[in-house]
Amino acid sequence: MTSMTRILIRHEAILGILFVVVLFAMASQNDRFLTTANLLNQARLMTEVGLIAIPMTFVIVTGGIDLSVGSILGLCAILLGVFWQNLGLPLPAAIGLSLAAGTAAGFANGLIVTRFRVPPLIATLATLALYRGLAEGISQARSVRGYPDWFAVLGRGDFLGIPTQLWLFALVAVLGIFILRFTTFGRTTYAIGNNEAAAEFSGLPVERTKLVIYTASGFISALAAIVFVSRVSTTRSDMGSGIELEVITAVVLGGTSIFGGRGMVIGTLIGLCLMQILQNGLSLSGVRGDGTTVVIGAVLIVAVLISNLLSRFSSD
Amino acid sequence: MTPILELKNISKAFGPVKVLTGVDFDLRPGEVHALMGENGAGKSTMIRIAAGDHRAEEGEIRLDGEVRRFAGPREAQAEGIIVVHQELLLFPALSVAENVFLGHQPKTAAGLVDWGRMRREARDLLDRLDCPNLDVDQKVSRLSVADRQRVEIARALSRNARVLIMDEPTAALAEADVRRLLEVIRRLRSEGVAIVYVSHRMNEIFEIADRVTVLRDGVSVGTRPIGEVTEASLVSMMVGRDIHQLFPKEDVPRGETRLELRGVSLAGVVEDISFDLHAGEILGIAGLVGSGRTELAQTIFGVTPATSGEILVDGKPRKIGSVREAIDAGIAYVPEDRGLHGLVRAQPLRENVSMAILDRLTRYSVVDTGREQNLASDAIERFSIRARDARQRVGQLSGGNQQKVVLAKWLATDPKILILDEPTRGIDIGAKTEIHRLMGELAKKGLAILMISSELPEVLGMSDRVLVMREGRLSAIVDRKDATPDAVGAAMMQGRREPARAGAAR
Repeated sequence: MTSMTRILIRHEAILGILFVVVLFAMASQNDRFLTTANLLNQARLMTEVGLIAIPMTFVIVTGGIDLSVGSILGLCAILLGVFWQNLGLPLPAAIGLSLAAGTAAGFANGLIVTRFRVPPLIATLATLALYRGLAEGISQARSVRGYPDWFAVLGRGDFLGIPTQLWLFALVAVLGIFILRFTTFGRTTYAIGNNEAAAEFSGLPVERTKLVIYTASGFISALAAIVFVSRVSTTRSDMGSGIELEVITAVVLGGTSIFGGRGMVIGTLIGLCLMQILQNGLSLSGVRGDGTTVVIGAVLIVAVLISNLLSRFSSD
Repeated sequence: MTPILELKNISKAFGPVKVLTGVDFDLRPGEVHALMGENGAGKSTMIRIAAGDHRAEEGEIRLDGEVRRFAGPREAQAEGIIVVHQELLLFPALSVAENVFLGHQPKTAAGLVDWGRMRREARDLLDRLDCPNLDVDQKVSRLSVADRQRVEIARALSRNARVLIMDEPTAALAEADVRRLLEVIRRLRSEGVAIVYVSHRMNEIFEIADRVTVLRDGVSVGTRPIGEVTEASLVSMMVGRDIHQLFPKEDVPRGETRLELRGVSLAGVVEDISFDLHAGEILGIAGLVGSGRTELAQTIFGVTPATSGEILVDGKPRKIGSVREAIDAGIAYVPEDRGLHGLVRAQPLRENVSMAILDRLTRYSVVDTGREQNLASDAIERFSIRARDARQRVGQLSGGNQQKVVLAKWLATDPKILILDEPTRGIDIGAKTEIHRLMGELAKKGLAILMISSELPEVLGMSDRVLVMREGRLSAIVDRKDATPDAVGAAMMQGRREPARAGAAR
């Protein structure tokens, strides 16, 4: 088989084609869809899911899963409000502490998974409930409002004509692509997902790598919380609930194997964009929210089916 | 007497690899027919064809004189052809009776499982196998390997086995259990069951078999009544040469001490091991499966760090608490289970070869793919690995080539001490000889080699000294000149129950 066909039948390529098809289909349906303003706004809306999807790609490539990201987001959003308003800390300090709390929450996930050998699904299912419960307990069902104007720049402002948070997202995404593709850390991540025992027998730092990945997942979830709070300029304890499913959908749609060992950050990015334009395009065409969900589910299944079908031909 | 099962002129290939070529085999009722041959000779494939797992491309299978084609294992089982596999295929969470009747439980008139009858019949079957102490309600997970095997045999009998194919049934058994198994086989034979018995162990073959067929490189070398062969003639039938030609052992002067163990233990598994290993030396470790050989190797390599004792590398005590520390101390370990511990099969050859030295191939923790590519190309050339290119996934290579990739990976770490755990298991004769030659070369260059092997000829043929393990302890260290099959075999077995009868079997 030539290398050209090998590239073409990669999941990412199929997804890219699918993305372009959907893009044109949506544009022909509605002339408000394919405008710079709309697309930039959509990019702004997907930033929180997108941020978390980057470390989630690493997590799933190791064969793990992190269900607690939405709860960490909620907890960090609440803590930001509490540190700033109730404890009277300056906002930058509150942001720093909130990020630290998210990092600690991710580190705790990592410890449970590596030290106590709890399967990631169970461990993060437990912390999903635990962190959300903490968030609700701390917030006492009160929301925090009235953030200063400078803070809103992150979530609502622009920099060089592009939504501010998109620069942050681009930075995280580029870092993710670089680390997973080119570094020993990335190589170790793939090796763990494909054969953890062999990675261990090769002297690779399996535990440390997993610990770092889960910790990063917590940190980025906290970062997403800051962006989220800035965008909607309010905090509530139910923020980010269910976001883990959107994140996982984007990653899996992007071609990352849920069994680990295979996947790329680029794929996740395409998966993410595909989801977002489907949501937006369909709602612009007057499809209701529940209909959109059905379409996204169907697209996920179709993408995975095509990819499976083609990989049967490529695995000579 | 018409043979119950007859394979005629069977050929089978997997892709381009010819596994069997024109093999004939026949089995009579009430006989034990031994099937011998080296790893990769085609024994397993032949068994699978007889059991309906694989289809032969050429040739025919006759059952009671009639030509049959089995579409799958179920059809063969319905005819009473049952395989007792080497790795027992039982369900640990289910009871003995449930395992025996899994898939064909006796039913009541209402179509529910008839538990009473099932337990009664399981009991009868086990009594027939002379194990009255085995409780039919016991969970299989609680049973010893020997008892599990009996359950597996009972399962075969519950399907009215007329042909019982046993694939290395004694590989994991202690001597006393081997005796009992042979008793059971005799009993089944007297009931008219025809048995194909695959084993490497000569004394068992001579004790139990009526006839023996030897396969070599996918061809049947011949079928003989057991009275017409000797151990030596069987070995030369199997390898086609005598042992001395097979193992090109070179004399290398013994260098300085590289590795020394002083009273090393891994609590409950390996006890009080002391020995030394010199540059240029190949030290073989012999012992039965379960004698602690692999566990010892993995203790030296830091997978399961020693709980007491001292490990000295080049005369200096080294704390080896992890694989990383072992690699840094100059130790490399080629594991027994290639697929599980040796390789990441889904990844390219290139990434496998560099895996143990990734940290040395980086600049600012970015992998230098140029150097990695060179490393891989060199490995392909040096070990003549048959691969499309360095990007080919390792899982697509043959067993022998996979093993060479593992060797390349570990030699890339530039070790002083190389531990080889079953280095030639499951690979073809050609690759085997290449690996043996390579071992000699490495020893000549001053590497200290520790080799674990279950194949006695390999241990005796390659080693300068043989270290024998038994039940987690060192039972003897034998010099090359004194290392005869009898001496090493005795050290492997001694202290077990009924050693006298095991010896008398010869």
